[in-house]
Amino acid sequence: MWIINEQGEQVFAGGRAAWSAAAQQANLCPAFQADDEDEWVADQSVSCYNCAFRRWTRDSFVCCQPRFLGQSTA
Amino acid sequence: MHILISIDDTDEMKRDMIEVRGTGELAAMIAARIEERGWGRCEPVTRHQLLVHPDIPYTSHNSAMCFAAQIPGHRLPDITELAEEFLAVESAPGSDPGLCIAVPERILMPGWLISFGFMAKNLVLKKDEAYELADALGIHLSEHGGTGDGVIGAMAGAGLRFSGNDGRFRGKLKFKTANNTITVKQVCTSTIVEQVKSIKDGRVLDLEERVFLGEGPKAVLMNGLAVMLVESCSAEAKEPCQWQTCSKSRVKAY
Repeated sequence: MWIINEQGEQVFAGGRAAWSAAAQQANLCPAFQADDEDEWVADQSVSCYNCAFRRWTRDSFVCCQPRFLGQSTA
Repeated sequence: MHILISIDDTDEMKRDMIEVRGTGELAAMIAARIEERGWGRCEPVTRHQLLVHPDIPYTSHNSAMCFAAQIPGHRLPDITELAEEFLAVESAPGSDPGLCIAVPERILMPGWLISFGFMAKNLVLKKDEAYELADALGIHLSEHGGTGDGVIGAMAGAGLRFSGNDGRFRGKLKFKTANNTITVKQVCTSTIVEQVKSIKDGRVLDLEERVFLGEGPKAVLMNGLAVMLVESCSAEAKEPCQWQTCSKSRVKAY
């Protein structure tokens, strides 16, 4: 579910509209923290798309708490 | 006097679970302070999405926040000073805050400001361009720490709010109702919403039409009005109704 980009960042491989996968990953992630509600884009409240540690890119987002991803990688 | 106050780049990524105030919260706090001092009446804050691009430094989503206020003209310097001092103190360490205060009635080329806003949604703009435009249009633009790159987003936020056709209002719409189905008239009398529209074809719903309230509905800025978007009820809807509020994933485009 995650790929490493040229900068060594962990990028969500599902893009910007993989609603189920983003929710599933967030439910498995101990670092999930909801962002300001105004920045939520997913209908599922617990979703990587609504997380304070995601940083949007043009096609997807970077997880800024990658140390936890080993525990949540599907 | 009608003014627009727009801020950007005031936040920083949360670290070690330390709470960081978002730009929207800071905008709402500035609005509250203006009203507490009796310096004017403020309208709700809107959020404006700008371009996400590798060449643009941003925290996590690159959005600007703006609100309008109705003030006595002689309070403009006080409000400018208040907003500047507030950003200098309250912005997160490591952020690059920018502040824009525009007086629409004094802008002789309003299209330039609006164009700047929409360009910032599609192009990488430079700080110098924002300052040149501010100078040409007589708009207050100031930076309050870091690189000050937030002036680009702040200027864009003011332009987009001024356009009346961009962004969504901060916060969820709250309804005082016992059930989840409400008339358009009730929506418009109990919230900031001025119009309810179908997201499919833009039809304005009649006041007597009923809407099922889904999770956390939001208003968007459209033709200068706070608009709540609705869609046809899904077959799985809990209550039989022709319309339901649009979900977050549908409104995110605004």
